[in-house]
Amino acid sequence: MKNMLNSFSIKVLFAALSLSGYLFAAGEADYPENYYDKVAIFLVAVIILAFLALAYFEGRQKPAAEKKKSVLWEKIKQYLTRSTPIEKENEILLVDHNYDGIRELDNRIPPWFSGLFYVTILFSVWYMIYYHVVDAGPLQEQEYAEEVRIAEIKKAELVKSGALINEETVTLLTDVADLNEGKEIFTKNCVACHAADGGGLVGPNLTDDYWIHGGGIKNVFKVIKYGVTNKGMLAWQNQLNPKQMQAVASYVISLHGTKPANPKAPEGDIWKE
Amino acid sequence: MELEKFSYDNKIVRNFAFATMLWGVVGMLVGLLIATQLFAPELNFSIPFLTFGRIRPLHTNAVIFAFVGNAIFMGIYYSLPRLLKTPMYSKLLSAIHFWGWQLIIVAAAITLPLGITTSKEYAELEWPIDIAITLVWVVFGINMIGTILKRRESHIYVAIWFYIATWVTVAVLHIVNSFEIPVTFLKSYSLYAGVQDALVQWWYGHNAVAFFLTTPYLGLMYYYLPKAANRPVYSYRLSILHFWTLIFIYIWAGPHHLLYSALPDWAQSLGTVFSVMLIAPSWGGMINGLLTLRGAWDRVRQDPILKFMVVAVTAYGMATFEGPTLSLKNVNAIAHFTDWIIAHVHVGALGWNGFLTFGILYWLIPKLWRTNLYSVKMANVHFWIGFLGIVFYALSMWFSGITQSLMWKQFNDLGTLQYPNFLETVLQIVPMYIIRATGGTLYLTGVVLMIYNLVKTIKQGSFLAEETAEAPALHPFKDPFKKGTRHRWLEGKPVYFTIASLIVILIGGIVEFVPTFLIKSNIPTIASVKPYTPLELQGRDIYIREACNSCHSQLVRPFRSETERYGEYSKAGEYVYDHPFLWGSKRTGPDLHRVGGKYPNSWHYLHMENPRSMSPGSLMPPYPWLLENDLNTSTTAAKINALRKIGVPYPEGYEDIANDELVKQADAIALDLQKNGIPAEPQKEIIALIAYLQRLGTDIKVNNQTAQK
Repeated sequence: MKNMLNSFSIKVLFAALSLSGYLFAAGEADYPENYYDKVAIFLVAVIILAFLALAYFEGRQKPAAEKKKSVLWEKIKQYLTRSTPIEKENEILLVDHNYDGIRELDNRIPPWFSGLFYVTILFSVWYMIYYHVVDAGPLQEQEYAEEVRIAEIKKAELVKSGALINEETVTLLTDVADLNEGKEIFTKNCVACHAADGGGLVGPNLTDDYWIHGGGIKNVFKVIKYGVTNKGMLAWQNQLNPKQMQAVASYVISLHGTKPANPKAPEGDIWKE
Repeated sequence: MELEKFSYDNKIVRNFAFATMLWGVVGMLVGLLIATQLFAPELNFSIPFLTFGRIRPLHTNAVIFAFVGNAIFMGIYYSLPRLLKTPMYSKLLSAIHFWGWQLIIVAAAITLPLGITTSKEYAELEWPIDIAITLVWVVFGINMIGTILKRRESHIYVAIWFYIATWVTVAVLHIVNSFEIPVTFLKSYSLYAGVQDALVQWWYGHNAVAFFLTTPYLGLMYYYLPKAANRPVYSYRLSILHFWTLIFIYIWAGPHHLLYSALPDWAQSLGTVFSVMLIAPSWGGMINGLLTLRGAWDRVRQDPILKFMVVAVTAYGMATFEGPTLSLKNVNAIAHFTDWIIAHVHVGALGWNGFLTFGILYWLIPKLWRTNLYSVKMANVHFWIGFLGIVFYALSMWFSGITQSLMWKQFNDLGTLQYPNFLETVLQIVPMYIIRATGGTLYLTGVVLMIYNLVKTIKQGSFLAEETAEAPALHPFKDPFKKGTRHRWLEGKPVYFTIASLIVILIGGIVEFVPTFLIKSNIPTIASVKPYTPLELQGRDIYIREACNSCHSQLVRPFRSETERYGEYSKAGEYVYDHPFLWGSKRTGPDLHRVGGKYPNSWHYLHMENPRSMSPGSLMPPYPWLLENDLNTSTTAAKINALRKIGVPYPEGYEDIANDELVKQADAIALDLQKNGIPAEPQKEIIALIAYLQRLGTDIKVNNQTAQK
């Protein structure tokens, strides 16, 4: 393998790959929209460079002088492989094996190979005992239950500290920055059914005085959060976080009284705060 | 010593070689098309026959069974007679085998784009074709075993051990996984349901990799690599050890495709541990191949044939290390349903199968035409282009898979999903899809170069149809049956050898199947789970026809990141009426097991018409024909009857009223759509599909019963 894959290019590739670990920004908070375009370009560059390095060393003439072999390394290698040197292979050539000219040597099974095999067998026995005989390891349902338990504790803390907004604690935002954020969410998710100006298409008109499920920030927040699936309104609680739902609900309320281009006929009842 | 004269038939080898090249290009072209559709969905041209779901199985079947399949037969029909010093048993059987196999491939190429599919991965072909495959496989078996029995060589070489194990195991796999009940001439339902179907399918699916893509190729490696390198095989002992351990252990590993699923935990763990134990037996093949090259490494630098073979064997070693890694629960939690798996199979397919095939072709074609390769330089260029293609492919898919999975699992400080909208995680990896398609293009370019090079080689040579040879007759031998030479004795008894390998491969399958099939407690029943209504059943068959399960799984895994995104995780008892199961193996789009009731009917209607109207930027192709085609209800009664036969509790006589029920349900859905301003007609296919989607995963919500343990 030494000649085939020059160790220097392998090192280059490895260094590049370990660096590339930093490129997984998925674990971070939001990152720029075209982040992965840059990552892709980087990857292509790395591959091409490594490839050129490989081809360069491939094409280079081998130095005439053989490198000095370390005696210790040779010893270790011999211990791990127990392989018969090429010069002596006639001693282990199987005389009566000749298949269409193919001959077979009878080299010993390399000790490193047997070791690997034994280790995997021991691991397997331990694994089955650990999970299914003494029941020491959690099976998938227990793992899941534990995950949920920890999340519930965290959630309770958040509700206590007021960081988690729900339909009981939600307040109307009137700040321009918040309403702009709400508008952005609205444009991205709601215009397909409620029209860009909130005048309604499949969904009802959001600008008039009439509300099917009640107006006001608490009701609007609730409808956004849980949806009214049989009527076509989706539940957004898994798509938007509470802050975002608060922002978009506030934006919807701010549309009240605007004049949409094609207002849908009123539906529901008049709502009075 | 009297020498007997005979001749080898090179024509059949030539035919299989040509078929290999032809189907290789076809299969890879289709692969390139679907790879491109993933970032340019409009490239289905709004034609059903060119849509991702339908041609993805065409790509896998063409590459596995047409390209690799023909290459296996090419390699065997050349090496087997020469290793046994006898012509193939029957020229007629050879011809039937060749033309039968090509006809099956053509049948696949016609039926799959038409949406005629069983939906079981790598076994998509419908029941009449399944029967044809069985017959051709038997013909091949008779031809091979007949040749072995007529041999002039007293012992069978290691390559032939692998050929025998391949034949035996593929026969068992294909027959057991293809048990299906015919409904019409080209429609059937899997005999197994739900979790059992999943277990059988992945026992089959994983062992298709093992016994169609691995063992025959190891056999080819044991013949062509020593031949090309002109070196003795490194270790006879090692070949015995790794052959028997490989075929014994491989059979057990199937459940690693179903980790963190509704499959019982004990079966999942068996899949994990046997996959881990597979490292050494697989690597035994790798080191025996690489160490055979000891003393020939200087030639590897010059000889493209050896280069191809070295990279092939190395890629095999990489893929067989990666596989066990992916079988560890914590790694699988990240990798399952992502592009990482796509990377994994393509290191095997492009590296191991592809490169070994190219090496063999470069070696074989000049031999058959008694000339030298037209251009060694061009073969070297092919090697480097192909190698670069593999690197692009694998790296981009590793990246894309891990990135997307981490995004799926990411929670924010508020304990909600950081990327609640699935589409966000898709749009991030589009650049990787572009790099992957580039890698594929490079690889295919190399193949085209190879074909040009080989055509030129053929033009300058002259073909030898009948190669004469001579060898002494088989002389009876007496291997003492004593310790140390027992295997040598077995090598002289091919029939015993075949039976022994059959027993060895049956053990793992039986141990895993029998409990899952016999013990009721493995599948906790859920009282509220009911069979599908006739309309939903028809809708489900449309889902199967369009192969929605190529991109959408129906299996919510027990992770909080999944239950937050999709809803309650999937229970085994929910699938008891699913013939076949539709868990899928890749999430290009979101999971659909809990999609029922999540969106209004109108959303589904508009979404199927044009996915981007509801999800801007979606990679899903539009399905306008579902809005135009009338649903074929003439099959409803036959479907109800067939399902009742295999255990779905439809009452007697239900088939007579099934279509009335169907019309009732369709009318209700159409009415709801009309109320929302959509001019829907109740007899269209889309209505049935909506009915099925709205039913999915809702049964356990009926009265919130939990499964009884």
